[in-house]
Amino acid sequence: MSFVARRLLQLVPVAVGVTIIVFFMIHLIPGDPARTILGIHATPQAIAELHREWGLNRPLVSQYWLFLDRLLHGNLGQSLIYGVPASSLIWSHLPATLWLIVYATVLAIVISVPLAMLAASKRNGVRDQIVRAVPLFGLGMPPFWVGFLLIDAFAVHWRIFPVSGYGTGIGGHLLYLFLPSLTVAIALAPVVIRSLRASMLSVLGADYVTTARSKGVPGSRLFIRHVLRNAVIPAITVLGINIGFLIGGTVIIENVFAIPGVGQLMINSIFQRDFPVVQGVTLVFAVLVVLINLLTDTTYALLDPRVRFDR
Amino acid sequence: MRQRPTAVRGLIAGVAVTALAVLAGCGSGSGTSSSGGSTSGGPQHGGNLIFAAVQDAQSMNNTTVFDNNSIWIFEQIYQPLFTVTSNGKGVQPWLATGYTMSADKKTYTIALRHGVKFSNGKPMTSADVKFSIDQNRKATKGWAYLDSAISSVDAPSPDTVVIHLKFPWAPLLADLSIFANGIIPNNYDGQTENAFYQHPIGTGPFKWDYWHKGSALKLVRNPFYWQQGKPYLNSVTWTDVPNDNTRQLQLKGGQAQIDQTPAWSTVSQLQSTPGVHMFLFNSTQTNYLSFNEKVKPFQDVHVRRAISLAVNRPALVKAVLFGHGKPANSLFPPQVPYYDPSTPGYQFNMAQAKAQMAQSSVPHGFSTTLLLPAGNSDYLTIGTILQSELKPLGINLKIQQLDPNTANTDQQSLKYDMTLTLWTMDIPDPDELATFAVDPKSGAQSFFTTYDNPTVVKDTHEAEQVTQPSQRQALYNIIQTDAAKDAFMAFLYYSPYPYATTTNVHGFFVTPLGNMHMEDVWLSK
Repeated sequence: MSFVARRLLQLVPVAVGVTIIVFFMIHLIPGDPARTILGIHATPQAIAELHREWGLNRPLVSQYWLFLDRLLHGNLGQSLIYGVPASSLIWSHLPATLWLIVYATVLAIVISVPLAMLAASKRNGVRDQIVRAVPLFGLGMPPFWVGFLLIDAFAVHWRIFPVSGYGTGIGGHLLYLFLPSLTVAIALAPVVIRSLRASMLSVLGADYVTTARSKGVPGSRLFIRHVLRNAVIPAITVLGINIGFLIGGTVIIENVFAIPGVGQLMINSIFQRDFPVVQGVTLVFAVLVVLINLLTDTTYALLDPRVRFDR
Repeated sequence: MRQRPTAVRGLIAGVAVTALAVLAGCGSGSGTSSSGGSTSGGPQHGGNLIFAAVQDAQSMNNTTVFDNNSIWIFEQIYQPLFTVTSNGKGVQPWLATGYTMSADKKTYTIALRHGVKFSNGKPMTSADVKFSIDQNRKATKGWAYLDSAISSVDAPSPDTVVIHLKFPWAPLLADLSIFANGIIPNNYDGQTENAFYQHPIGTGPFKWDYWHKGSALKLVRNPFYWQQGKPYLNSVTWTDVPNDNTRQLQLKGGQAQIDQTPAWSTVSQLQSTPGVHMFLFNSTQTNYLSFNEKVKPFQDVHVRRAISLAVNRPALVKAVLFGHGKPANSLFPPQVPYYDPSTPGYQFNMAQAKAQMAQSSVPHGFSTTLLLPAGNSDYLTIGTILQSELKPLGINLKIQQLDPNTANTDQQSLKYDMTLTLWTMDIPDPDELATFAVDPKSGAQSFFTTYDNPTVVKDTHEAEQVTQPSQRQALYNIIQTDAAKDAFMAFLYYSPYPYATTTNVHGFFVTPLGNMHMEDVWLSK
């Protein structure tokens, strides 16, 4: 069986494990979605009626089997708060988060690769010191604070970008998501820069680079075709791991920039005890993390012909 | 080896992405354009207003939902027979033009306004009114309790509705003014209830456009609206912007025109910000400190009085509201009809507090817990202040912060010692608050305190059925005084509704009950 197919099959036990853990955890913590709906007007009768309507009066195990049965038919259940299919809520929120993650990754690469190359070009030189030190500010500053600084400067004072939101159409998304993506990229870039710089320095000392240099290969071609391609794999690992964390970690950025993504949906659903949505979003997160790991591993094979996963 | 060109090319690539983003976005507006003809000296038609809201709505079902964000939106779609006056203390005809009351006070004959149409162009008739009120009466987990005095609704002619009561009921017109009794088409215009509320129809100034849940909800102008020349706006979009700072930045950056409830700490700054108008509308919001009388020693009135007397309310107003509020003296806020300004609600007096404590069952003090919802910085500030204010009484106060849903559940399940709570009125009549707060059999167990004073309960029910205003005032004066003396809750402070708008917004007003008439709002260029 091919490597990709094997990894995709791994999704099944991961998804089942996640559904079990999340289902029982969210149902066992205190709190009641009926009280979210009813507020201070929550009489015992009204609560009982809602519980009956939602099937929450059944034993927990019975509720889990019902959830699993629906899941096998592609049904994630009904949002207890909005009264619409949980899947429609999740699918409507997922694009914003995916846009944010991809855009942030692209910006992180755009920032990191040139700076890492600049730093590696003269080890311990002035530009190396600056490149190593300055991005650490991005790592040390809380993302929500960086976000507000960028909004204040570029959206309120100079009015180059919108303050927040998601926009409509591809052009709108590129415009509205630039500042939030940049906020994420500023936090991602330092880690990627340091990893890439370190592996570039290691590759620069390799015999084949010395050979290429002595053969007169121009500097730019040497860097891109020989050094970068060999040095990038560890950085891809670092990037892949951080993107995995981003899947659930965009909630702060989504809150600051009012982006209707799954992170914000998840937080609101947890507070409101909207069980079907929490379960659905967690499942989607688990699938995305597995897919990103798969993408990371596949990228190795694309970049390095020596890497083969099929036996 | 030439390094610089490669590195420079990489940087240029990054700049190119930025330029691409800017260029691609050219032409995609933020929806704040104000277009349309202008009338000199008066309201201007046109414009799309963006309302940055604290959270998303939950549902457009006006008979079952309790969430304010949903209510303030669908009040632009459905209208009731009577509406709250701007001072929040009475009602005025709205879809009705007037009424007569029978001699036994049990039958109200209401005349309907002529020429009212739904947003689909169909005329409103008494059949729609009967259907709407009957649907609310049937809503078992909603606002039906407000219509519990109604025995039946008749529609003898297309422009007349007759409401029959089980007994004389003074709050009837106030109850009819609530959004839950808003008028919708008979039989949901041929749809199922669920389908209707996905794309609701009403007589209000705005009609349904779309709702992207968790993001934005948009209403557009109702071309059949009965008030000539209104609404002025082409559309209103409520956006979900939970972060206080982001809403404010949206206002300053021109992406939104109204910021719902800016943080108290920013009110003074907004009052002096060019291009921004900071409003503090009179409200019925009252904050209280609740005591669970099922837990010792809170069943002891001396303990409750001691704590009430130890609370420095002006200090709370300064610390929490940054001075934008008033100490509370009564269970009722000043904007509620029959509020008694001379109600002797306990105010700060440490000597009297200590004297009360000395008479109590725990003269040397005790340890207790204040339950708070996590993430509420105002409540945490109050809790921290209370900790130091109660120390002189020997009360060791621990603060327990729980996730808001859990804190809410614990409060309503009476699993707490003390907690903070608040109230805002839904109708311009004290009956709703009085029943909820002092009647242990009301379903809310006296605001989840289990307070039970049979005299106060009796007076509350008597005030419901007395229609003479002077008699009701006398009863509610007694109720407010007794509730204050019993100190079943410490009345903390009254706070206004803070809203910030850009200065091109005109006609925006919020009643003390939180209602907004967006048909009166217009944008200047």
